[in-house]
Amino acid sequence: MPDKAGQPKLFGARVKRVEDPRFLTGRGRYVDDFVRPGMLHVAFVRSTEAHADVLSVDVSGARAMEGVHAVISGEDLAHVKPITCNSTYPSWQPTKFHALARDRVRFVGEAVAAVVADDRYLAEDATELVQVAYRPLEPIASVTAAIREGAPRLHDGWEDNFFVKRHVKIGEPDRVFEEAHGVLELDLITHRSTGIPMENRGVIAEYDPADEVLTVWTSTQIPHLVRTGLADFLGVPEHRIRVIGPDVGGGFGIKGHLFPEEIVLAALAMQVQRPVKWIEDRREHLLACIHAREHDHHLQVAYQPDGEVVGLRARIYVDCGAYSVYPWTSTMDTGMALGILPGPYRIRHYECEAYSVTTNKCPLGPYRGVSRPQACLSIERAMDEVARALGMDPLDVRRRNVLQVHDYPYESVTGLVYDSASVAESLEKVLELCDWGELQRRKQAARAEGRYFGVGFGHYIEQTAHATQEFIKRGVPIIFGYESANVRMDPSGKVLVHVSTHSHGQGHETTYAQVVADELALPLEDVRIVFGDTSSTPYGHGTFASRSAVLAGGAAIQAAGRVRDLLISFAAKELEANPNDLELADGHVAVKGSPDKRVAIAQLARWTYWRPERLPDGMEPRLEAVASYDAPPGTGTFANAAHVALVEVDPDTGGVKTLGYWVVEDCGHMINPLVVEGQVHGGVAQGIGGALLEELVYDENAQLMTTTFLDYRLPGATDIPHIAVGHLSTPSPFTVSGIKGMGEGGAIGPGPAIAAAVQDALKPIGDVFVNELPLTPERVRRFVRIAEESAGDRT
Amino acid sequence: MITTAVTITVNGEAYSTEVESRKLLCDFIREDLRLTGTHVGCEQGVCGTCTVLLDGQPVRSCLLFAAQLEGACVETIESLATDNEHLHPVQRGFWEKHGLQCGFCTPGMVLTAKALLEENPDPTDEQIRTAIAGNICRCTGYVFIVEAIQAAARELRERGEAVDA
Repeated sequence: MPDKAGQPKLFGARVKRVEDPRFLTGRGRYVDDFVRPGMLHVAFVRSTEAHADVLSVDVSGARAMEGVHAVISGEDLAHVKPITCNSTYPSWQPTKFHALARDRVRFVGEAVAAVVADDRYLAEDATELVQVAYRPLEPIASVTAAIREGAPRLHDGWEDNFFVKRHVKIGEPDRVFEEAHGVLELDLITHRSTGIPMENRGVIAEYDPADEVLTVWTSTQIPHLVRTGLADFLGVPEHRIRVIGPDVGGGFGIKGHLFPEEIVLAALAMQVQRPVKWIEDRREHLLACIHAREHDHHLQVAYQPDGEVVGLRARIYVDCGAYSVYPWTSTMDTGMALGILPGPYRIRHYECEAYSVTTNKCPLGPYRGVSRPQACLSIERAMDEVARALGMDPLDVRRRNVLQVHDYPYESVTGLVYDSASVAESLEKVLELCDWGELQRRKQAARAEGRYFGVGFGHYIEQTAHATQEFIKRGVPIIFGYESANVRMDPSGKVLVHVSTHSHGQGHETTYAQVVADELALPLEDVRIVFGDTSSTPYGHGTFASRSAVLAGGAAIQAAGRVRDLLISFAAKELEANPNDLELADGHVAVKGSPDKRVAIAQLARWTYWRPERLPDGMEPRLEAVASYDAPPGTGTFANAAHVALVEVDPDTGGVKTLGYWVVEDCGHMINPLVVEGQVHGGVAQGIGGALLEELVYDENAQLMTTTFLDYRLPGATDIPHIAVGHLSTPSPFTVSGIKGMGEGGAIGPGPAIAAAVQDALKPIGDVFVNELPLTPERVRRFVRIAEESAGDRT
Repeated sequence: MITTAVTITVNGEAYSTEVESRKLLCDFIREDLRLTGTHVGCEQGVCGTCTVLLDGQPVRSCLLFAAQLEGACVETIESLATDNEHLHPVQRGFWEKHGLQCGFCTPGMVLTAKALLEENPDPTDEQIRTAIAGNICRCTGYVFIVEAIQAAARELRERGEAVDA
């Protein structure tokens, strides 16, 4: 931890968030809170067909409506390029995602036309007057339908319906499978769900013909990438585009995309020469934003009599929907699953085939955890099943296979460098935290009363803050290799920090201020963090993949360190001291050991700008530094956590209630434990939602059946138990200040922990392998029937 | 456009106006009164983000028309504190206990909590969870929200403030 300033450290303290008062008083500013002079409102006409040729779009009726200013369809955007995002893998097949559909629609909800009117009510009225003629084509509603022989191709020029096909074979899987004591074959299925920020998407676009500048306010995690995407696809020079991501009401990865609607709004603002606003409604969000999580894993697990897992084979299908998403491509889920599947275990023989499949569904993209929840479900359930096959304790099977503290840094079978971790320790610690023995006793007591309690465990090692090397391996067109920070001290000695990441709940305004304040020996209130506006912040990729604290935090620490060095050089001249004898403390630069011999930082700052003649030779009159940080070695720093769930199952209704939840996490040195715990809680709640409640259900015609929050069940306060969180701290040996990322982790563990707990609860009824999420009542009832049948078979 | 004349009191101030008859209360508050602390999360009456207090009771402002509220008294988040130094105990509890992250559900959550504590100054954790079950928060997992409301309840009890049920 930094120990450069002789004052209490903010790093590591449970500092209350500085951004909170504005949210608590209703003064947050989200996109919909901005009103521009003369602003008009946009509503979209969306495809009702999953797969169809668009024969015609008749906008005449809508155009004639009073209060309507413009109606456009795909042909009006001939000057706009489709969104493309292409992998560099040889098997890659590209898509063209038009901002408004041209000749063909490929999912229900795809934007077909846009209406501009005086207000949102009128705009929505007018959408009903747009007549779209479709010629329906055979819809592909599932991976099974997409990969069967003779399936229609969704995209012109494609050989099959795979965005990408990957295959790796490492070690000698054929030999170890041949020689193994036993081999298990397992299917693990996760159905479609998504991030669901409480704020829907929203965009305002305004074109200023005087400055020739297009300004776009959008609810995004990646303002700089949106700007570049708009420039590339819209054909507007990038220095004439300003993107502002103001307060954003949750993102969870879903808002880390360039969207067709952003392009349409920008084009409309230039066409009608008035500011235009679009606020998405929840039905649109569920239909057409970004979906996630839909994975089928087929596993083969080779094991020895003592529980050692010696080899792993996997075939992975991800239903990526209709189009490749920008900036990720449709390779993100398959790539992550392929890389992280062996998890925290010493598995050296591995073979994996991974397929990104196109279907007539909403595009699939990153959502908190990106594949890691599915990979964790697979490997953890596999460990449980090896234990069952051998009659062992599932925890002992993990103890037999898990990496030990002396194994790190460890290069995994897929080439990931696990820098440091405490997986073995967190397992033991979470057992203490939850009082595992007591949970087992509670379970038995409940059984005596005819109730079905179950306890489940899951743990993982989590790649975070992966940077250049990892994204090169993933074959994405943009290498998300760094984040940047500009630290500027003004003549009063106060500090403004501009960062390339975006904060939408993570508390960056507090945590970055903590680390910068420490570097400069200033109080927290003397540091202000600015993010989200591309006209003032340094270029960067944004907030995703548990990277911000490590990369932008690291950049801020480094930039602040350079400003500190400038202050020390200046003070050395003023105090006639050797720079090596100086330190920053309590708002001063002082001679170590002689605290009276000092000069105030505010004084140095004032002189820097007002009294350049006092500056040391060669020092420019500026207390400012910009730094970019790409955390070595670039394949990520690895956090870890262990989760335990206690559930009660009602076998008659299939209802599952989560009664208790325990987490021991390790993200290295914590900047702010309050923020870390909040992130863990929120991730776990999303994970429980994904394990039990949340599902985007398409019918066989690829029509989405879950278009309201009555059908798509989000976890409320009565669905989530108290979540107890314990910490371990194994700092990264590589990153600035030993920080690791942790924003996604909470969402990874609940799937396997809950699945195992439900299976455990059903054990008195019979044997069953719970392999499918979410565990809706219907599915739980199915597992109950399987358990009953297995018991019947036994008798 | 069909309009209706209404007088609605919002945060103690009476507004007499012609409002489009189909205009939702949430849109009236946000657009006509420019009180943007009330957020809209689903417009389907499920998520609770748009919660305001109507004659003291939490309601979903996306399920009401402004035109039907003649004579009603509405409180929004803006009624609780005029500046950061004078936060309501519920707001202070949320700040102290990290009961918010992105802040979008927060105004509705705070108002629901305020109404709960006016009815039940000493709720159990279970009672708190039941009371806020209709307000979805996607960020916090509710753990610190429950702690925040307990902290507010303690502060309110310690103050011994008269509670208007």
